[in-house]
Amino acid sequence: MDFITKKEIDLVALLQKSHCASAGAVVLFSGEVRNHNIGKAVRFLEYEAHISMASKMIAEILLAARNRWSLSIAEAQHRIGKVKISESAVVVITASAHREAAYASNRYIIDRIKHEVPIWKCEYFADGSKEWGNNCNCQKTTGDVNQHLYEFDSV
Amino acid sequence: MKIQVFAVLKDFFKKEFELKARIATISELRIHLGQVNPNAVSVLKRCRFAIQDSFVNDQYVLTGDEHIIVIPPSSGG
Repeated sequence: MDFITKKEIDLVALLQKSHCASAGAVVLFSGEVRNHNIGKAVRFLEYEAHISMASKMIAEILLAARNRWSLSIAEAQHRIGKVKISESAVVVITASAHREAAYASNRYIIDRIKHEVPIWKCEYFADGSKEWGNNCNCQKTTGDVNQHLYEFDSV
Repeated sequence: MKIQVFAVLKDFFKKEFELKARIATISELRIHLGQVNPNAVSVLKRCRFAIQDSFVNDQYVLTGDEHIIVIPPSSGG
């Protein structure tokens, strides 16, 4: 699977390929474009990535998750280009023997992708304005651009 | 050295450009870019830098031949 894609993410097709005899739990997370943010109506998002670096980093994150939770399956794919309302911008699929590992690893993967991987979104609003996403503000707390605060650490 | 920027940094710099100035470290590069465009200083403080698809820290020593990627805070997902 390409980790970065310009094509629409086919969630059903990806899920169909994510069954494994040793896995009793499969978790699919789809990060989708919502029609509002910071009180403004959103028309669509445009994603940009440093593709080679983003692909390498997603591969490393998936490998780390596989090893940490002994996963049967760990997959992720992120869109670039224009993504419309309700379309999937990112999908993470994890499968493991039991649900605890499938949920935890899925959260770990999406958290790390959002904080670390060089992918950016630009929001285009209904009022004609646009704004680059500013998700990762961890440096304000950690004092280091390479030190992040993850949701999975606080669960 | 060649500099490549992404996302919001394209509002402040050309997507790719050459720097001829003698710059010894990533830390100096961060300061230099802020001097080139002071409007970018607050973003630059939060940027990471990468060479050959790997992050480098502020102490990384530059030879002048590098292709350096300037990476604003991620906002994927």
